[in-house]
Amino acid sequence: MSEILVVENIDSGYKDVQILWDVSLKAEEGKVTVIVGSNGSGKTTLLRTIMGSVRAKSGRIMFDGNDITKWPTYKRAEAGLIYIPEGRQLFPDMTVLENLEMGAYTKRARVKMKENLEYVFTLFPRLKERINQKAGTLSGGEQQMLAVGRGIMGCPRLMLFDEPTLGLSPKLSIEIFGIIDKLKKEKISMILVEQNVYFSLQIADYGYVLSEGRIVKEGKGEELLASEDVKKAYLGV
Amino acid sequence: MEALLAAIITGLLLGMVYGLAAVGLNLIFGVLKIINLSHGAFIALGMFGAYYLFQYFGLIPFVSVIPVFVVILIIGILLYFIAIRRVMGRQELSTLLITYSISLIIVGLGTFFFTTNPRSIDIPWESIRIFSVYIPATRIVALFLAIICTFLLYLFLYKTWIGKAVRAVSMNRVAAEYMGVNSHVILATSFGIGIGIAAIAGVVIASIFPFTILSGGVYELKSFVICVLGGLGNPFGAIAGGLILGLVESVLSLKIPVGIVPFIEFILLVLMLLVKPEGIFGRR
Repeated sequence: MSEILVVENIDSGYKDVQILWDVSLKAEEGKVTVIVGSNGSGKTTLLRTIMGSVRAKSGRIMFDGNDITKWPTYKRAEAGLIYIPEGRQLFPDMTVLENLEMGAYTKRARVKMKENLEYVFTLFPRLKERINQKAGTLSGGEQQMLAVGRGIMGCPRLMLFDEPTLGLSPKLSIEIFGIIDKLKKEKISMILVEQNVYFSLQIADYGYVLSEGRIVKEGKGEELLASEDVKKAYLGV
Repeated sequence: MEALLAAIITGLLLGMVYGLAAVGLNLIFGVLKIINLSHGAFIALGMFGAYYLFQYFGLIPFVSVIPVFVVILIIGILLYFIAIRRVMGRQELSTLLITYSISLIIVGLGTFFFTTNPRSIDIPWESIRIFSVYIPATRIVALFLAIICTFLLYLFLYKTWIGKAVRAVSMNRVAAEYMGVNSHVILATSFGIGIGIAAIAGVVIASIFPFTILSGGVYELKSFVICVLGGLGNPFGAIAGGLILGLVESVLSLKIPVGIVPFIEFILLVLMLLVKPEGIFGRR
């Protein structure tokens, strides 16, 4: 199996506050890599560092064989690194369709816009019904669907999901996990950051446990689920 | 009655042009989140562009809008990368100071090269009769030009990839970067278009009123009032704000000494800020 993303010994954070300490991880092509950890463990900072909206202080990030550590964010997106941010970060005054179009902004994605749009609408028929509605007026669940759809529009080589079920009802969370499972069957490479440890590790091919900015454990999804530490810390059993 | 009708028509015509100047200011505020204190200077540059193109090449202002816009657009993009980029995201004082210094440089050089003697562009066009009122043809053309520019801006913002990226950056710059948008290029383009529109407004105003290099300041102040009326951050609210200000100005000057009119305009500004600070079409 080839590695699509390799993060090597990353230190990262904001101004004077260091959040991540010597973090290394790998994501394999066509696989789902899950990062679990409690609130404030540095999960979002890790994804933002991979996207370049937070700069790594030291270490190296390799994507698709290129050293992207110094690349600006938009260039990483052009290369196929697609981030579905925490809190959706939609364009609230744009319509559903315009948000999806923005997802296909890169040259690579623009040529495939039509077929990707159809695919998104088969995954989320509800978005098609609301195609001309402003994104800001959608319900929380619909906004999350739009955020995922917007990501798919970008022809991802690797999709980074940041807490896609945060704030959603259990029913909607299961729906979102269903979509991620579908994408997994399509062999789309993914990194999934989640608080919902049980669900996410079930989907995971490989997983990492992040605690206070450090990777404290890694292994296959089912191994982590079975491990005593993870059970104790996150599953409350 | 006749005088009132004339005042209303003139007010709407001028209001549309004022509105156009404010559209540029509002676009820059909406996308870059900075208040552009050099707006008036670029309005004045537009006036002089129109003047010299008329003097030396015989281009009437309604043709010279195109070269003037292109030149100012390029200047705007360069200015962004040379100066404004460095203060993006800093506190407001830095962005105010940098745009104010751009204004000082332009007005200073302008005073040196052009002096402050009033200029005017005399286009020998007749007046056109509307109902029972005669309106100079240049003002009618100015109105159409302002409408066309606004419409083109709308097409740009809603129908083109770059325009959509401009709107996306104005709503959420980081998310736009995640979509693959090079936000510095978008911010530079927006600044260029914003001051380019200011220059177009300057060209149009120069075809109606006499002007000096200092005239831009007056219209910059009007633009601020208009933006507050129409709502900051909404380019098209500025047109409505402009029409209101144009009407108020021209109807009031029927009864009140012209010198007092700006005073009333600013009372309007203060009242608006007190009662509905987000503007008529702005959103909280």
